[in-house]
Amino acid sequence: MSKVRRIVKELEEVKTDLASGITLNLINETDISHLKGTFQGPPGTPYEGGLFTIDIKIPNEYPFKPPVMKFDTRIFHPNISSQTGAICLDILKDAWSPILTLKSSLLSLQSLLQSPEPNDPQDAEVAKVYISDRDVFFSEAAKWTKLYAIKNEQPTDLVKLYNLDSAAVQSIVNMGFDQDKVAETMHTLGMSTISGTGGADENRLIERLLG
Amino acid sequence: MKVRIKEWNAVSIWHWNVSEDEVCGICRVHFDGTCPSCKYPGDDCPIIIGKCNHSFHMHCLLKWLELETSRGLCPMCRQPFQTLGEDEVITT
Repeated sequence: MSKVRRIVKELEEVKTDLASGITLNLINETDISHLKGTFQGPPGTPYEGGLFTIDIKIPNEYPFKPPVMKFDTRIFHPNISSQTGAICLDILKDAWSPILTLKSSLLSLQSLLQSPEPNDPQDAEVAKVYISDRDVFFSEAAKWTKLYAIKNEQPTDLVKLYNLDSAAVQSIVNMGFDQDKVAETMHTLGMSTISGTGGADENRLIERLLG
Repeated sequence: MKVRIKEWNAVSIWHWNVSEDEVCGICRVHFDGTCPSCKYPGDDCPIIIGKCNHSFHMHCLLKWLELETSRGLCPMCRQPFQTLGEDEVITT
């Protein structure tokens, strides 16, 4: 089958090429159709220093049909959904050509980070920010990079980052929940503290954590 | 000294008239190899060369051109893919 042979070749090629900074790996040795790729955020952009992971699913008709790619790493970019990671890029749709490879597609994504196309957005909200206030866009994108794409030696302290009441967080963690998950959920619900024990706040939070 | 040849075996090699390290851009296999659906290289799995001077295993290219999404374009340069006529020769 043309698909398997080509993917094996592509995997070998990426492994020997260390200069591009691109990695490509099978998730499961027995499934050639599902891969993860990574590349670095381009310098001089708010994505600099970040490592972005791409989920890659390969259709049976590959290389005659394009691979299905989406961002696993959350990113603030006009052409990438801030919610799902879905990508709007012509070569992954109707401008695909069979001479393109997984590596060249990943390189195209890397250059998409360098030159957003706000007039053909995937995420209209992000595109609006990009068009109306470039400074705000830049700082928000950089914040997301720091939050989601940069692996620190010390993990980001979400409690501090979101300005949460650490005693309140601790009281929920003591019930057996993961601290980052608690912090993330409180931030989503717009809580900075929890008033009273067994109150409405606490119930809402726990319900969400279990849901 | 006279030598008498009792027996001889002739061996020959062939390759397509393209640069030897070139691979088909579609399947990434050498032109002297076959497309993924053929077993034996040679006339049964030929190379096709376009007016734009881009070459592929013929079977690979036909599979691509069959698809509506190809819009009949060369995968390499996205010009309409046309083959050379009988009497035309590529000048490189």
